[in-house]
Amino acid sequence: MTTSQEPKTKKRRWRVTRRGFLLGAGATAGTLAIGVLAGRRPFYRFLAGQLDNASAPGGPAEDPIAWFEISPDNDISIFINRVEMGQGVHTSMAQIGAEELGIDFEQLTVVQAGTQKGAEPAAVTGGSNTISSAYLPLRKAAAAMREMLIIQAAGMLGAPAADLEAVSATVRSKSDADQSLTYGEIVAATTEWPELQEEPVLKEASEFQIIGRSIPRVDFEAKLTGQPVYGYDLKTEGMLYGAVIRPPTIEATLLSVNAGSAAERDGVVEVVVDEELGFAGVVATTRAAAWTAVNSLDVEWDEGHLWSQEELDDMLDFDMLDGYVIQKEGNALRVIDGEPTLAAEYRTPMAVHAHLEPQAAMADFQDGKLKIWTSTQGQGTVKGQIVAVLGMEEADVEVVPTYLGGGFGRRLNANVALEAALLARAVGRPVHVGWTRQEEMRHGYVRPSTRSQLSAKLNNNRIEALSHRQASGEVAFPFFPGFLQAIFGTDFGAWRGSFNFYEGIPNRQLGAYLARMPIKTGWWRGLGLMSNIFATESFMDEMAHAAGVDPLEFRLAHLSDDPFSQRMRGVLEAAAERAGYGESLPEGRAFGVACGPDVDTVVAMISEISVDDDGFITVHKVTQAIDAGLFINPDGAKAQAQGSIIMGLSSTLIEELTVSEGRVVPNNFDRYPLLTIDRAPEIEIVLLESDLQPRGMGEPPMGPVAASVANALFNLTGKRIRQLPLTPERVRAA
Amino acid sequence: MKLKINGQEVEIDDAYGSGLLIWAIRDGAGLMGTKFGCGAGICGSCTVHIDGEAVRSCITPVQNVVDADIRTLEGLPNEDGMLHPVQQAFIEQQVPQCAWCMSGQMMSAAALLEQNENPTQEEIVEAMSENYCRCGCYFRIKSAVARAAEIKQEMA
Ligand code: FES
Ligand code: FES
Repeated sequence: MTTSQEPKTKKRRWRVTRRGFLLGAGATAGTLAIGVLAGRRPFYRFLAGQLDNASAPGGPAEDPIAWFEISPDNDISIFINRVEMGQGVHTSMAQIGAEELGIDFEQLTVVQAGTQKGAEPAAVTGGSNTISSAYLPLRKAAAAMREMLIIQAAGMLGAPAADLEAVSATVRSKSDADQSLTYGEIVAATTEWPELQEEPVLKEASEFQIIGRSIPRVDFEAKLTGQPVYGYDLKTEGMLYGAVIRPPTIEATLLSVNAGSAAERDGVVEVVVDEELGFAGVVATTRAAAWTAVNSLDVEWDEGHLWSQEELDDMLDFDMLDGYVIQKEGNALRVIDGEPTLAAEYRTPMAVHAHLEPQAAMADFQDGKLKIWTSTQGQGTVKGQIVAVLGMEEADVEVVPTYLGGGFGRRLNANVALEAALLARAVGRPVHVGWTRQEEMRHGYVRPSTRSQLSAKLNNNRIEALSHRQASGEVAFPFFPGFLQAIFGTDFGAWRGSFNFYEGIPNRQLGAYLARMPIKTGWWRGLGLMSNIFATESFMDEMAHAAGVDPLEFRLAHLSDDPFSQRMRGVLEAAAERAGYGESLPEGRAFGVACGPDVDTVVAMISEISVDDDGFITVHKVTQAIDAGLFINPDGAKAQAQGSIIMGLSSTLIEELTVSEGRVVPNNFDRYPLLTIDRAPEIEIVLLESDLQPRGMGEPPMGPVAASVANALFNLTGKRIRQLPLTPERVRAA
Repeated sequence: MKLKINGQEVEIDDAYGSGLLIWAIRDGAGLMGTKFGCGAGICGSCTVHIDGEAVRSCITPVQNVVDADIRTLEGLPNEDGMLHPVQQAFIEQQVPQCAWCMSGQMMSAAALLEQNENPTQEEIVEAMSENYCRCGCYFRIKSAVARAAEIKQEMA
C-alpha cells in the first residue's frame, strides 16, 4: 500500500453508465477507470441549481467522490475526492473499495484527488458524513468494475463468467487454477468495455475480509518520517513567502493603506495592495521578512465599536431575538403553565479550533492559469471563491488538497488560498502563505457562545413536560447565501444536539433563537453539539435528582421501545456495565452519565472524576459506548472517539475565548491553553454494531463529554455548575 | 552559512542566520519534518534535539546553535534507514490522527528514552506534558512511549 498526493493522470471526462456509475474517458489508452457518484445530498443538489452551476445533479459534469483505475501493469489506484485530516478516511474508503474490487488491501494505492472541473459544492469533508454517504456507492462502483473484468476475462479465457472468481486482482477459474488473468492483463487487452446488463452483486457482510478490520492507516509512514505532505510543507523552485495585513479589532474596516517603507525592507520583493478588496500584503524571500514587513505598512483602520464580552453575552437575549419552534410534541408550555417544577439556565463560551497546523497554501499563477495546493476541507469552496474573487474561468483554476494538520471545521473557507492566489498573481512566481498562531487565534471564526433555558414539570417522578429555549450565535448561516438562510429558516448548526430524543416525555418543546454576533462565528467540530448537550443532559440529571431517581435509571425510564430508543438504551447499559456504574468507588470519586445522538450515531458516556480543595477537577476514566452501525475500521473508530473525548474535555475544563476592547483576548496558547497529556484520562471505548449501515464517527462522541463531567461533579460535591468551562474558580465559587 | 543537521553539514541561505531555528530547518534546509504550531515555545510541535536535549526550535535563535549538533525527525532512523523505536512504536500502536504534532511528540519521547531507558508512566506523562495534541492522541501516546522503551531494549 502506498499513497500519493497528486493524480499523475490527466483530467478525465466521465460518462454515466446505465448502472449509474461513471466510466472514465480520455484516459491513457488501456486503462480502466470507474468513478463513484455518491449523489449530492438533496441540499447540495438544490444549491447547485440555485447557483446556476451548469452541472446537472447526478449528471456527467459532476465530479465523482472517488474513482478507481487499473493500468495494464496491474497498478490499481483509488483516487479520493475527500481529504485526510486525521480521521482516517483515506484508509477506510480504500478498505471499502478493495473489498468489492476483489483485491488485497496492499494492492491498492490511495491518491488524493484535486478539483477536476467545475465548482463542486459537494467536495467538502466534514459533518461526519463521508463514510455514511460513500459506503454503498463505493461498493457498487467497485463491484461493477470487478464484474466487468470477469466478463472480459470470460471472453479471453473462453470460460463462462459464472465459473470465474476475482481474487487478489486476478480473475481465475474456480476449477482450474492455471486459468487466470491479472486485472492488468485484462485491461491491456481491452479497448471497448461492455455495459453491465445487471446490477452488480455485492458481497454479503459475512464474506467481508477487509471491511470491519482494523487496518493500519495508509498515511502514517509518510507523516511519521517527515515527508512534506501538508499544506505548510509545500515548497517549490523560486517560491516566495507572503504575509497579509490583519484588522486590529473584530469589527474594523480598512480606510487606507500605503506601502510606507515596507518595500525597501530586506528581502521584500513586492508590496501588493488592492483597496477594492480591502487587501494588502507583502511578498518576500523569507517568512520572517514578510511577517516583519507587513507590520510596517502604513494602514489606517476604522476600529468600529469596541465590543466587550459582556455586550456579546447580552446579545443572547431571548426577548430580543426571533425564535423558531424546532420541535413540538404535546403542549409543554400549557402543561408547565408558568409554574415549572424545575428551571435552569446554562451557558457555554466561544472557542477556537486550534488545529495545530495553521492555515497554509501555495499558489502558482502562470500564463493566466492558477494552481493552488492547500490544506483545506473544501477544495470546491476554495475553487469557487477564487474564481469569484479573481474573476477567473473555472477551467483555469485547479485546487489540490494536501493532508491537513487537523481540520475541526476551520478549513471550510478559502482565506489563505485566496491570499496566496492574490499575491502569486501579483508577482508571477509561486507564493506560499502560512498563517501564524496569532492569526489563527484572532482572525478565523469561532464556535459561538450559547445560552439555554430549560424548564420542566415533573409528575410522579417522571417528566410530564419539558421546554427548552436555546440561543446561539450563527454556525451554518455565515457559509450560505441569504436566500438559503431564508429557506432553512433556522441555523441547523446552532441548535444541533438540542433536539429532545426521550420519547417517554409526552410534552416537549424546543425553540431556537439566533443572534448575529459582531465576531465571526461558524463551524466547529460537532457545531452546537457539545454545547447544547451540556445543557440538555445536565438538566436531565437535575430532573433526576429532583425526582429522587438515579440519573441512569431516569434516562432509561424516559426512552421508549422504538429502534432508535433501543439503540440508546443499548449504549447506556453497555457504558454503565463497562464503567462499573453503581458499584462503589473509592472515597472522593464519583460517576457522571450523559448520552446523546448525532448523525444517527448514539453515544453514552460515563466519567469518573475527583476534585481537590482548590476546585481542580481530575477526570480519571471515561467510558463510552457507541453504536454507529457498521464499523469499517474499528481501531480507527476508537481513535475518533478518543480524540473527540480529549477535545471535548479541553473545552469542558479549560477553553474559553473572550473579547475585550473589540479584540479577541488570547493571541496564542499562553492565554488559550489546550488540555495536555497530564490531564488526559484513561479511556475505554465500547463499540456496538446494531446493524450494517455505517454512520458518522468524527463528531458524535464529543456530544456528551461536558455534561457527563458536570453531572459527575454534582454527584461528588452537590455543586451544579451551569457554565463552561468547569474551572477551579467556578468550582470554588459554586 | 552552514548548520550541522542530522550529522551533516547543511548549506543554508544567510538570510536565515539572524532568525529562528525552525525556519532555517524548514524553509532554509527544506527539512519539513519539524512542524510549526505556535511560534511561542508552548505547543512542542517544533521540538528538535540540540546536543541531545529536546529544544523548541521556534524560540531558538540560529545564532545559538551554529556549532551545535541539531537532530530532527529526519535524523531519527539509523544509518540503515531503520525507523527509530519511537517511530516504530507510534506506527505499531497507530498513535497519530492528523500527525502534525507527532514529530514533536516523537522527538520529546526519543530524548526521554536517551536519558531514561525504562521510564515509568508518571515519568512519561511528565516528559510529554508540554506537547500539545489537538487531535487527542494522548491515551495512545502514553502506551506507545512505553512500548518504544521496550523496542529500544530489544534492539540494543
Ligand atoms: S511551534 Fe514551537 S513550541 Fe509551538
Ligand atoms: S495528531 Fe493531530 S495534533 Fe496530534
